[in-house]
Amino acid sequence: MAGIPARISIKELETSLASVRGLEVVLGRVVHDDWDEKMGPTPYPSVTTLRSWDHRLLGRYEPFYSPFCDMCCLCTYGKCDLTAGKKGACGIDIRTQQGKIVLLACLMGAAAHATHSRHILDYLIKKRGRDHPIDLGEEVILEAPIIRTVTGIRPKTLGDLEEVVDYVTSQIAQLLSATATGQESNYLDYESKALHAGMLDNVALEISDIAQISGLNFPKGDPNAALINIGMGVVDKSKPVILCVGHNVAPGAETIDYLDKEGLYGQVEVAGICCTAHDLARYRSGAKIIGPLSKQLTFVKSGVADVMIVDQECVRADIVQEAEKVGTRVITTIDQICAGLPDMTSLPPESVVERLASGKELGVLVRDPAKVAKIAVKTAISIAPARRRLTVSKDQEVLAAAAKCTLCHECRRACPNDLEIDTGVNDLRNGSMQKLALLYDFCMNCGRCVSACARQIPILDLLELANRERIKSERFKVRAGRGPILDTEIRNVGRPIVMGEIPGVVAFVGCSNYPNGGKELVEMADEFARRRFIVVASGCSAMDIARYNDENGQSLYEKYPGDFDAGCIANVGSCVANAHIIGAAVKIANIFAKRPLRANFEEIADYILNRVGAVAIAWGAQHQKAASIGTGVNRLGIPVILGPHGAKYRRAYLGRSDMDERWNAYDVRTGRSVYVGPAPEHLVYVAETKEEAMIMTARLVMRPSDTSKGRLIKLSNYIDLHRKLFGKIPDDFHLFVRTETDLPLGMKDELLAVMKEKEWKPKDIPELGSTIVDRLVPKKV
Amino acid sequence: MTMAVPWQTGNIVGPKNALLLNPEHCARLLKAAKRPLIVVGANATSPSVGLPDLGEYVLRLAKSMKAQVVASPTVQSQFDSTGGMQVFSMGLEDLTNRLKDKRWKGFDGRGPYDYALLIGGVYYFESQMLATLKHFAPHVRTVSLDRFYQPNASFSFPNMDMAKWRDGLNMITQELGGKR
Repeated sequence: MAGIPARISIKELETSLASVRGLEVVLGRVVHDDWDEKMGPTPYPSVTTLRSWDHRLLGRYEPFYSPFCDMCCLCTYGKCDLTAGKKGACGIDIRTQQGKIVLLACLMGAAAHATHSRHILDYLIKKRGRDHPIDLGEEVILEAPIIRTVTGIRPKTLGDLEEVVDYVTSQIAQLLSATATGQESNYLDYESKALHAGMLDNVALEISDIAQISGLNFPKGDPNAALINIGMGVVDKSKPVILCVGHNVAPGAETIDYLDKEGLYGQVEVAGICCTAHDLARYRSGAKIIGPLSKQLTFVKSGVADVMIVDQECVRADIVQEAEKVGTRVITTIDQICAGLPDMTSLPPESVVERLASGKELGVLVRDPAKVAKIAVKTAISIAPARRRLTVSKDQEVLAAAAKCTLCHECRRACPNDLEIDTGVNDLRNGSMQKLALLYDFCMNCGRCVSACARQIPILDLLELANRERIKSERFKVRAGRGPILDTEIRNVGRPIVMGEIPGVVAFVGCSNYPNGGKELVEMADEFARRRFIVVASGCSAMDIARYNDENGQSLYEKYPGDFDAGCIANVGSCVANAHIIGAAVKIANIFAKRPLRANFEEIADYILNRVGAVAIAWGAQHQKAASIGTGVNRLGIPVILGPHGAKYRRAYLGRSDMDERWNAYDVRTGRSVYVGPAPEHLVYVAETKEEAMIMTARLVMRPSDTSKGRLIKLSNYIDLHRKLFGKIPDDFHLFVRTETDLPLGMKDELLAVMKEKEWKPKDIPELGSTIVDRLVPKKV
Repeated sequence: MTMAVPWQTGNIVGPKNALLLNPEHCARLLKAAKRPLIVVGANATSPSVGLPDLGEYVLRLAKSMKAQVVASPTVQSQFDSTGGMQVFSMGLEDLTNRLKDKRWKGFDGRGPYDYALLIGGVYYFESQMLATLKHFAPHVRTVSLDRFYQPNASFSFPNMDMAKWRDGLNMITQELGGKR
C-alpha cells in the first residue's frame, strides 16, 4: 500500500564530513508494505522487461500482416510506397511499418482507457476521498489480479490506484515515442511494444472498474444482478428523456443522483448507449439501455432524446450535428470530446439551462459532472413538452426521396458489409419495403450509404420507416454487469478448467461491427452455453447477446444463469469490466494453482498459455480499444478470434500446426523438451464466418496440460460441432490426439481408422504440465 | 490499360493495383500456371456473390487446369457430393499464412503453388488476404475470379454483372479445354 509523498528538509547541518545548508529531499511515495507475498521478479515492468517473454510468444505465433494500405504517410518524406519489398525514405519496410501501425492502434486504445481511469478515479476521489476502500465484496479477496501481477502492489484504497495510473500513462508516453521516425526499427520489437501497450491497457481497465465498483457501489460479482430493459423501444417517450452516450458513467450517475435528490426519479427517463449504458444500469437498475454503438446514429436521429450527455469513447464524430438537426440539446463533458462547443463550466447552471432551453445554444461543454446533471435535468424538463408538440411526420417526404434512386449501386459499394441496399431502396419505387425491412438485422447503422448517395436519399430514415413497428416494440432483458468473478467461483471451476473437464471459457467481447448482424453472436453464445462451456460477455457484445428472444420469449440472460460456471452466461459489464474476465484467468493461476502472482507476469502468463483453456471472440471488433484489450490478453497467453472485419487491424498472430519444431516446450517435471502442439494453435485468428469461428473456438481451448479426460471432452466438442455445422468429422482432428485415451469413446473405432490412414503416432503428455520459460524448468535435467 | 475501381469504393490500396482481366486474357494466363490452387471462400454460395452451380464450376475449372482446390470450412462439405477430386478444407487466413511461405509444400507435399485463384470470398476479408500475398509472397501470382474488382490481386476481373460474369467463367473453361 502506498502512502503520501514524504519530504525531508535540512536547513543547516554541520558534520565532520560536510556542512549542508538548505537540503530538501522529496520521496515520491512511501510504501507501507504489509503484503506477505514476496515481491516477484518484474514489478512495474518497463518497456523491455518482458521482451524475452514476448519474443518467445512471437517465435511460436508469428505476426501475420495484411496491410490495409501500401503507403506510409507519417512524415514529410512521404508518401512512400512500401509495396512488396520497397522501402520508404526513412528505411522502413512494410512489415516494420505494419508493426508500427499496430502499436499506434494499441496505444490509442490504451491511452483511451488510461484517461478514462484517470477521469473516473479523480471523480471518485473527489467524491469519496483518497482513503475510500477498494471493496469488491466479501467473496472477492483477490480484488486486483492484473494490477497485482503487473505492478506488485496490492491496492487497498482509491488513492493507491493513483500511482498505477501514473505508471500506465508514463509507459504509454515511452511507447509512443518509439513510433516516431528514426526510433524502433524491428517489427518484432514493435510487436513486443504493442503487447506491452496491451498489458497497460488491461491494467487501466482494472483501475477503472474496481474504482467504480467500490466508489459507486456497483454489483460485486452478483450472478443474479438485476435484469435490465434493453432495446430501441424501452424508453417512455411521454417523459423528458436524457440520453447518455459513451463510457464514463460519472455525469450519468450524477444525473440519477440529482433526480433522486429533487424527487424526480421516475419522472425523467435516463437511458444510455454503449458502455455508459452498462454502467448506468450497474448504478441503478431503473436505467435503460438503448443498445450498443451500432444503435447510436439511428436513435439520435429519432429525436427521442431531449438532452444528450456525451462523455468519452465510441462517440460518433457527427453526433452533435445529428442531434442539433432534431433539436436534441447536447452537453459534452470531458476534455477528450469538446466537439467545438462553448465551455460553460464556470457559468451558473441556471444560466446554461436558459441558453439551452431557449435555443441560444444547442450544445455546450461542461466539465463538471454535478453541474452537468443539474443542467441536463432542468433543460430536459423545460424543453420536452414543446418538443413533443412539434413532432411532425416526414414519412411522405422520406418515401418520395426513394423515387430518385437510379440504382447506381454506390450505397451498396459504400456499405462495409456489402448489403444490398441498392435494390432495397429501389424496390420502394414499386411500393415494396420487404427487402429493406430485411436489412435491419444486418445493418450496423454507420451511415456510409447516406454519404455515398449522390441523390441525397435518406437511406437510414427509409430503413427506420421500413422497420418502425419492430423498432417501437423492441424490448429485451440483459443482466446488469456483475463485475468481478468471485474467488469462490474460481475455487469451484479452477480444477475442471485446467484439467479440461469444463471444455473452455469463451468470452464474447468487443464492438458491434459484425459481418452479418448481431444474431450470430446470440447463436454462438447459445451453442457454447448448451455445450457447458463457461460463457462470459462484456461491452457491446454483452448487449447484443440480449437482443434476440427465443421461442419462449426469453433472452439468453433469462435462459441461462449468470454464474461463472459451466453452462452459464455471465455479463461482467462495460468494456472496462473486461478486466474481470482477464482477471479470472489470473485468479485460476493464483487461487487454484497457487502460483505467486505478485509482479510475476511471465510465470502467470506461461501458466495460462499452457493450462487455462480460455478464448475470446471479438466478433465485431472495430475500435482501437479492442485492439489494445485483445493484445493485452494475448500477452497473457489467451487466444482471440476476430470476425472478418478484424483483418483490417492488419495483424494476426498465427501458429503453424505443420511445423513441429515450433511446438516444443519443457516438461516441468523432467525439464525435457516435449512436443505440445498445436495447442493453442493461434493467438489471434480472423475467421471468415461464424461457423469457422465456432470451430476455431473448439480448437483453441485445447491446452498442453489437458488430462486425457479433458482432451477427450474438448475433442468431442470439436468433432461434434464440426459434424453439426459441416456435416462431417474434421480432416485434422488427429493433430490434437496425443494418445488413444484422448479419443471420444463412442467414435473411437471410426477415428482410429482415419488416424491409421494419416499415419498418426502417439505423443508424450507432460505429466505435470509444460512451460516455455527456461527459468521455470527444474535445474537438474 | 483500362482503369478499374474497387468494388468497395473506399478500398484504395496504393500504387500497385491488380491488372484487369477479360476471360480470354484470363484463360491464357492460367495456361501458364504450373501448380495452381483454387481457393473457394465462404461466400461462394451466397446468392449475390456466388453462382448456384459454383461448386460444379470450380471442379470443372480445376480439372481443366490440373489445379488443386481448397475451400473455406463453411462451404467445403458442399463439394464432397460433387465428387471426382479431393477438396481440402482450411480457413482463408491460415491458408494465406502458408501460401506466403515459400517452404510450404502444399496440400500434397509437392511444393509451393505458383498461382492462387480466389473465388467466392467475403470481399473485404479476401482483399486483406490478397494484400498479404501481394506484399509477402512474390512467388505466388493471385487471380481474383470474382465479379468484383480486387485491387490487391495480381490480376482481377473488373466489376461486372452476374450474367456477364457467368459467361466469362464459362469462356475460361472452354478456352482451357474443359467441357461446358
